Amino acid sequence: MNELMTARSLTTRPVVTLGGDAVAQVKDTVCDAAAARITGFTLTGRGLLSGPLQEGLPWSAVHALGHDAVMIRDRRGLVAAAAMTAHRQNLRSRLLGSRVVTEAGAEIGTVLDVVVEGGTGGRVVGFRVAANRRFVPGRARHRRRVYVPRGATLTVTGRALVLAEEAVGHVADDLPGFTALVAGVPGRWRGSPP
Amino acid sequence: MLFTEVRGLPVVPPDGAGPLGAVTSLTVDVASGSVSHLRWRGGRFGRESALAWDAVRSVGPGAVRVGSAAAGDSAPPHHDLLGRRILTDTGTGLGTVLDVAFDTRTARLLALFTTRGELPPDRLLGLGDYALVVWAG
Repeated sequence: MNELMTARSLTTRPVVTLGGDAVAQVKDTVCDAAAARITGFTLTGRGLLSGPLQEGLPWSAVHALGHDAVMIRDRRGLVAAAAMTAHRQNLRSRLLGSRVVTEAGAEIGTVLDVVVEGGTGGRVVGFRVAANRRFVPGRARHRRRVYVPRGATLTVTGRALVLAEEAVGHVADDLPGFTALVAGVPGRWRGSPP
Repeated sequence: MLFTEVRGLPVVPPDGAGPLGAVTSLTVDVASGSVSHLRWRGGRFGRESALAWDAVRSVGPGAVRVGSAAAGDSAPPHHDLLGRRILTDTGTGLGTVLDVAFDTRTARLLALFTTRGELPPDRLLGLGDYALVVWAG
């Protein structure tokens, strides 16, 4: 199991060639229509005053997505950013803030962040959610931030993500707990144990 | 010998004249895992110049003796290895380079000493303006 990381933490991560040169840094992550995988990154320049780049980084050019850098083979892997984001949209405009509901219609919350797998896979494995009060009971001013696995099936309809019912059976409170949960160790059962 | 021991040594020409300057750094060719150029500076405000390692006769004790001090015409872009950030090819940081041991006769690197322990030179992959990239062990 590769390291899990949130999409927000990828912003400002340097893009480094295997030759050791930094060519850009990540501005935002682009994913496919079903929110299943990363398809690429939009980039900004490395300097303090440099703006967004005209070039984007498709996932096929990524050697590995690591904890401290996005490694690429060489600079020739970059493509025009407009071509990459034509049909797919970046996470910030597409997923963040959208509602999460189950197939049965239960309201879960709104997406705060997207959890992706590092390494060479680029899978979207879950979401960090500001949970609804009915989904995670607690005191009125309690912060209800939970990690919800994506599950095998997910449909995106407009600004809502529809998750399978069994995907939300287990949730985690933090990223290490979510890593264990995705790896197969069931975390705390939501609500009362069965 | 260590890179930090070579740095600062006087560069002495073959005819027994006074030293030309002091060694500032060593340029490493990562592909072959060896030292390719020696960079030295004459005086405090002198210009830094590169000298191919083939022109170096002997290193130490106390000086670097060179065959001819003619400046190299095609020195590669220089990235100092000392203090350089280390990344694996999977994108994980491995600290920074503290020192490098090399053989003064063959110019081959023997070991890299980093803030996270020792690295064998056969794991080197690339050296650029941002980091030294090594294969993940």
